[in-house]
Amino acid sequence: MKRVCLKIVGISKAIVFLLVSTVAVVSPAYASTSVAIVKTVSGSAAIVRQGQTIPATHGLEVWESDMLRTGRNGSIGILFNDDTLLSMGPGSVLVIDEFVFAPKQGKFSIVIKMVKGTAAYLSGLISKLSPDSTYIKTPTASIGIRGTKFVIKVEGE
Amino acid sequence: MKRWSSLVVGWIVFCFLTGCATHRTKRDLIVLLPDPDGKVGAITVTTNADSQIIDKPGYGIVVEDPNKAPAAPKPIHENEIKEVFGQALSAQPDLSNRFLLFILYFENDTTKLTPESKALLSEVLKNIKSRKSNEVYIVGHTDLVGREAYNIDLSSKRAKHVRDWLISNSITPGALFVSYYGKSRPLVSTKDEVPEPRNRRVEVIVR
Repeated sequence: MKRVCLKIVGISKAIVFLLVSTVAVVSPAYASTSVAIVKTVSGSAAIVRQGQTIPATHGLEVWESDMLRTGRNGSIGILFNDDTLLSMGPGSVLVIDEFVFAPKQGKFSIVIKMVKGTAAYLSGLISKLSPDSTYIKTPTASIGIRGTKFVIKVEGE
Repeated sequence: MKRWSSLVVGWIVFCFLTGCATHRTKRDLIVLLPDPDGKVGAITVTTNADSQIIDKPGYGIVVEDPNKAPAAPKPIHENEIKEVFGQALSAQPDLSNRFLLFILYFENDTTKLTPESKALLSEVLKNIKSRKSNEVYIVGHTDLVGREAYNIDLSSKRAKHVRDWLISNSITPGALFVSYYGKSRPLVSTKDEVPEPRNRRVEVIVR
């Protein structure tokens, strides 16, 4: 009896393993890790990740490819892993297209797509370690950032 | 008759509000501000046609058409910045002392620190210890005199010189991240082959 039980456990383990590995194959892109943390929120603000809307709260993680949006009275401020600061005013939408901070590999990159609204930006370590690897894209232009603070407004649609 | 005139007035008001026939183009506005430490960097605004650099604080660029060159930067009034960006700016997390940046200068074509920078290096060491930092970036550079390969080697030696000194003063090697860029990232832009003491440097960032 004991042996049978063990066998069943073994088989179910194998099934679980199979299931898990299938899932891993199906969604390889979402092995994401945190690239920033929400530090300030007021009014309504949310993160849209893989089609799901997560209300923003202090301490919430931000991942690569996340979309950040604020409501009519909302604002949000996030701190990236390299100490870059990014904040958004009301009625704003942007996407963290790319964020790479890997000093050991010497890889650095920030690409943010600003869809609409207002944002303020203050460069962190990446701009010091790799000055030409930070970009903000808007519907009309691409903005290269060399270690600085600036504000941007995009009227969008 | 009265009804007609009110219709006309209504139409004019409607046009005034919406812009009717003259379709108002969507605009982007980008304004450079000074860093908290007073330094000013630069941003490059590039459209399909051309690009413009903003390097003066309080100056901004309006972009209306992705296929036209961006206009030259012009000063943006403080009140406009407050009005448009006030809420975004006040949502910015406050983080004083995010990291410290030290710039150490070297004598021409050597790994020998200038006397002032030698003194500053002790300050760097003090800060690493007091912060118990396990993330210190050491970035080597040269001025634009000489061949690229030679300068990459020189910038690497400068960075390693600083690294070795810190290790000999009991900083753990695992906390130190070295990189070097030769002549490719001058602090002060110069033409090639121009000697510039401010570019012969190692930047140390203590987190």
